[in-house]
Amino acid sequence: MPDKYIHGTIDGIKISVLKETTILSASKLLDINIPTLCHHEGLVPDGNCRLCTVEIGSKLAVSCLYPLREDNFTVNTKSPKVHEARRFVLSLLIARAPKAPRIIALAKEYGALPSNRFLPEADNCIRCGKCVRICKINRTEAISLVGRGPERIVTGPFLKPPEDCIGCLACGLNCPTGNIPFREKDGIRSIWGRNFNLVPCPECGTALFTKEELDFHKEFAADYCPTCRRKKIAGDLLNCQNLLVRSN
Amino acid sequence: MRLDSPAGLKDFKESLLAAPQGQSIWVCGGPGCLAAGSQVVFEALQYEAFKRELGHKVAYRVELTGCLGLCERGPLVECSPQGFFYEKVSSNDAPEIIDKTLMKGILVERLVTNPQKPNKEHLPFYEPQNRLIMRRFGQSSPGNFDDYIRTGGYEALCLAFELGPIKTSKRVEDSGLRGRGGGGFPTGLKWQALREAKGSPRYILANGDEGDPGAFMNRSLMEGDPFSIIEGLTIGAFALGASQGYIYVRHEYPLSVLRLKNAIEEAEDRGLLGKDILGTGFDFHLLIVEGGGAFVCGESTALMASIEGREGIPRVKYVRSTEAGLWEKPTILQNVETWANIPLIVLNGPDWFKSIGAPQNPGTKVFSLVGEVRNTGLVELPLGTKVSTLVNQVGGGVHKGRKFKAIQSGGPSGGCLPESALSLPLDFDNLTKAGAMMGSGGLIIMDDLSCMVDVARYFTGFLVEESCGKCAPCREALPLFHKILMDLTTGKGQKGDTDFLESQAKTLSTTALCGLGQSAANPILSTIKYFRQEYLEHEEGYCRSGRCQDMYFPKIDSEACKACGACQKSCPTSAIEGKKKEPRLVLVSKCISCGSCLKSCPFCAISAQRRPNA
Ligand SMILES: Cc1cc2nc3c(=O)[nH]c(=O)nc-3n(C[C@H](O)[C@H](O)[C@H](O)COP(=O)(O)O)c2cc1C
Ligand code: FES
Repeated sequence: MPDKYIHGTIDGIKISVLKETTILSASKLLDINIPTLCHHEGLVPDGNCRLCTVEIGSKLAVSCLYPLREDNFTVNTKSPKVHEARRFVLSLLIARAPKAPRIIALAKEYGALPSNRFLPEADNCIRCGKCVRICKINRTEAISLVGRGPERIVTGPFLKPPEDCIGCLACGLNCPTGNIPFREKDGIRSIWGRNFNLVPCPECGTALFTKEELDFHKEFAADYCPTCRRKKIAGDLLNCQNLLVRSN
Repeated sequence: MRLDSPAGLKDFKESLLAAPQGQSIWVCGGPGCLAAGSQVVFEALQYEAFKRELGHKVAYRVELTGCLGLCERGPLVECSPQGFFYEKVSSNDAPEIIDKTLMKGILVERLVTNPQKPNKEHLPFYEPQNRLIMRRFGQSSPGNFDDYIRTGGYEALCLAFELGPIKTSKRVEDSGLRGRGGGGFPTGLKWQALREAKGSPRYILANGDEGDPGAFMNRSLMEGDPFSIIEGLTIGAFALGASQGYIYVRHEYPLSVLRLKNAIEEAEDRGLLGKDILGTGFDFHLLIVEGGGAFVCGESTALMASIEGREGIPRVKYVRSTEAGLWEKPTILQNVETWANIPLIVLNGPDWFKSIGAPQNPGTKVFSLVGEVRNTGLVELPLGTKVSTLVNQVGGGVHKGRKFKAIQSGGPSGGCLPESALSLPLDFDNLTKAGAMMGSGGLIIMDDLSCMVDVARYFTGFLVEESCGKCAPCREALPLFHKILMDLTTGKGQKGDTDFLESQAKTLSTTALCGLGQSAANPILSTIKYFRQEYLEHEEGYCRSGRCQDMYFPKIDSEACKACGACQKSCPTSAIEGKKKEPRLVLVSKCISCGSCLKSCPFCAISAQRRPNA
């Protein structure tokens, strides 16, 4: 339906998008790159890192959440105001995560330097909560953000290794600062202060999943590694077809 | 007794008015007077009356009532019908008050400011005031249903039932009422939006979180006249098609919670809440949600998250609550004082309401007036009252010999305005334009001994504690600002700090996620705007207000010194010398610049001088 589309410009380029499209998604369509940290397509957007700030009209808004609703919008993703906002955010985040390559690169790009007056504990965590949201969407909810203000941290319940963790690594692999350390050695995976036994694929022996993970996702019954599973499904399909052909 | 129709309620009111009233003694039960010991006074008065076996002889009442306002002179007692207004009452005064006022209706002269005019309306503190929201304070016992009805309670609801939802809502929309919770958003727009919103159920919320340090007006209202809030909410629910409401109160206000709870139960018993209100078939249920007392929980999205049972942190929202609020349903959130205005507006009409206050800013606003003025307390002024009236008449001016320096309004989200603000009308637009905010109505008056950098440091420190930590700018920038302000107020400031703070604070306000972070820069920005010189002096290590330790020397003006010796007595390190009848001198080597002498001098003869190295 045409009335569901609205029109406007991003960085001067004309674009028509479905109403309620976020600025970030609309910009992607135009290959306009907006830096993000807390955003992930598969997660409920949270809008907490503020890095994806852009200018719409004369106001600043976070593009990962702002829904385009009105016709004739003008978005500017590169104005001096936007640059200053991102520089400000990065000058704060680089103090938290001075060793994270992605933050270093961004800070360099925007000319952001940490303050020399006050440095928070450089624990490499920018509290974007991506790990927590991933854990939540996986229904494990093993970790959460606790505490308030500058004291906010990601941890398991009661500041202990999270009992509900199944060692799936979803958090660790998605951390924008690479700050969730994990290790695999001798068939054991360690993360969040816990150790998990890896279960080898019955077919080929590759160990990809923890036992807890397989138990938790029983409905998928992924006890084979992806490669072997693909083979197995193909085999099953062939068998099915043969059966169907025969019954006909 | 359950009231089952509007007519029944009217009959009930008439029967109440027909009963003899007798003599009443109202003891202020507001937060200030309770802290000053009014509970003891109240009990003493009750005891004295009981001892004389008065109950058998005359109709009388001795009761606690809502905040009478002039907290500075508490415990306060008001006697009706005469309106005698007793100040600084102690339990020792109880026998005399009972013997004279309660039994004979005679004035106890020594307890009033002016025996010729013993009513509070004649005091300069009350003269400019228009007590509408607080009209029942001094006339009713909080949470007493009969008192509420006697003083016109629930008449507005009956009228709303007569008018129907749309006409009722129109009255509010036409009144020009603006939200009393801080931003001054036009209430009418919210009502209209909710009325036109699709979806059900819809929710009615009252914000009684009141997290500003030092503010107590919402608390006084909830404690003093809980029914008025409940009636407002009920009218709102009726007009806007809701059947469930919540009042959000911080658990640090146990008395507010208790009074509201009791009032809700009472209203339910009387058929004014719950199912089939006054036999009209309209249902409305009201619950209290106790918050944990985080400042940020006053913010609308955080408040709703808290009611939903989640962590009280704000969400990014580019959609209004009237579209998707509590549980993503159409919701209206208003401050408790905004709700208490609703019955008045519905009953008296929008034109009456607009006749009070200023254009675009109709009605009254309750302020808590604290700081360096003679009369502190709770005041209710028509919007648009001049700041000078507030400071000099209501507040009685700053303390003798001191100079007015600034007025801080709006709490941690607000700002400090200088002397030029005295000519400003107190309303939403003028305060915002000047760089402060109405906020919930906390006003702090400061004199020349208050250091503006220190004020900014205090509020920023408060916000560091209260920031929820969700968004990066607020979480990470506030501690940095606080550190720089700490440095500035302890002599470790650096050149350029002021400019840095100013530019970065501005960016914070445009990048933060919620209202807390967006307004967190106001204390810094407003003080830099109006008191930049002081900041620059702090960079050099000098505090002209004599507030920041080790950043000045006290100097006694030998002409102005009357050799009274007050400073000498106040000095903890005996750094002040001088013989009888001779001007005093400060021994620089012994002085720890604690500021005691500056405050102690009745002639304001001591000033804060620059240190030689600064
Ligand atoms: C950090 C923060 C704290 C707030 N605290 C309160 C509060 O304590 N009480 C209140 O009524 N509104 C508070 N507000 C404003 C509310 O978000 C909301 O705007 C208000 O309750 C709406 O009611 P009104 O239209 O009657 O003003 C706060 C806002 C922010 C950003
Ligand atoms: S990516 Fe949009 S706020 Fe973090």
